[in-house]
Amino acid sequence: MSTTTQAEEVRAQIGELLPRLRRFARVITRNVADADDLVQVAVEKALARAAQWRPGSRLDSWMFRIMKNAWVDEIRARRRRERVHAPEEAGAAVGDRSAAARDIALSVQAAMARLPEEQRMAIALVLVEGLAYKDAAEALGIPMGTLTSRLARGREALQALLGSNGET
Amino acid sequence: MNRFSEETLMAYADGELDLVVRAEIEAAMAHDPEVARAVERHRLMAAQVRAAYDGVLDEPVPERLATLVASAATAPVIDLAARRDGRRISVGPLQMPAWVALAASVAVGLFVGILLMRSPAAVYEAVEGALVARGALDQALDSQLASAPGDSAVRIGISFKDRNGDYCRTFHLQRDVSAAGLACRSDGSWHLQVLAAAPAIVGELQPAAAMPIPVLHAVDAAIDGEPLDPAAEAAARDAGWR
Repeated sequence: MSTTTQAEEVRAQIGELLPRLRRFARVITRNVADADDLVQVAVEKALARAAQWRPGSRLDSWMFRIMKNAWVDEIRARRRRERVHAPEEAGAAVGDRSAAARDIALSVQAAMARLPEEQRMAIALVLVEGLAYKDAAEALGIPMGTLTSRLARGREALQALLGSNGET
Repeated sequence: MNRFSEETLMAYADGELDLVVRAEIEAAMAHDPEVARAVERHRLMAAQVRAAYDGVLDEPVPERLATLVASAATAPVIDLAARRDGRRISVGPLQMPAWVALAASVAVGLFVGILLMRSPAAVYEAVEGALVARGALDQALDSQLASAPGDSAVRIGISFKDRNGDYCRTFHLQRDVSAAGLACRSDGSWHLQVLAAAPAIVGELQPAAAMPIPVLHAVDAAIDGEPLDPAAEAAARDAGWR
């Protein structure tokens, strides 16, 4: 595939992935404005590096990896700039649902926001994005064993946080 | 206590196990309510977490994101890396992807027209696969301090050393259009790392505050330690940025 054709292919596929990229960004940044900024930066990076994507491999995992790296860089930069981050902002639109479902969604988001970064990313990829463990581990650049242990610890923490708010 | 670890039951709930272990767990679930409850708890948790974020998929995608991936003819991102067939700008031993992002703006066409054409006023040109500062920009990067009065066409933001020990400076151009970028010194010239459309500077607003995100990210990726203070900036200039 020529560079130009591949760039166009990547561009078109990213266009279709945008809603999922925004969702993943919302989970990891916990904040609407940061999430869309992150998607923008990641898409720009991906388009500039379109030639590095291996045709036939999963573009979503590749994008998630770029987003994860961009977010890690961003957090480091913020710490350097000593800018305080407000994490507790309600992250995702919870849409038209019953009041009970909305309550659950909001408490899940609040609990997710309190998880350590690495556990939240593992959960975002496997539980929210539905990636196989293998693909999630690859996107995060970690071994499978590390991924499963982060997932297990993250779930345990969520269970503890949500359980203490009353059983659903 | 059942003989399956919490991680194994979690993996089962996520559909990750091979047939043999899956069959063992299903057999255990059939006569051990504790195993069945643990699996159910994992499944419920997974469903709740997923449901908590599903609303995002139904939101309209903001236009600034949609335009990024619009077809090449109308795309606001000028992908210099792809234009050069994937070759990369070499910045000393450090290989950086050369990406120049121009945020969506009606000024983009004009901007590219003015800057990429080799008019006498061009502020950069392509030299051996790299974009090298020329004219007023080159002059400002060489000699102007961040504290210089803000009425010139180029304002300098921060100066710092990158991980190769080369000097880099952010700048803000105000000509027919407003743009900001990062340039690093190597082989005796200023190599542009990123250039992006930026809000025009009004009054005494500091350039750093007006830096577009792509420039901030390029700085974060390159910087080694902290930006130079005014004394170090002046000393580096007087030493010719070597």
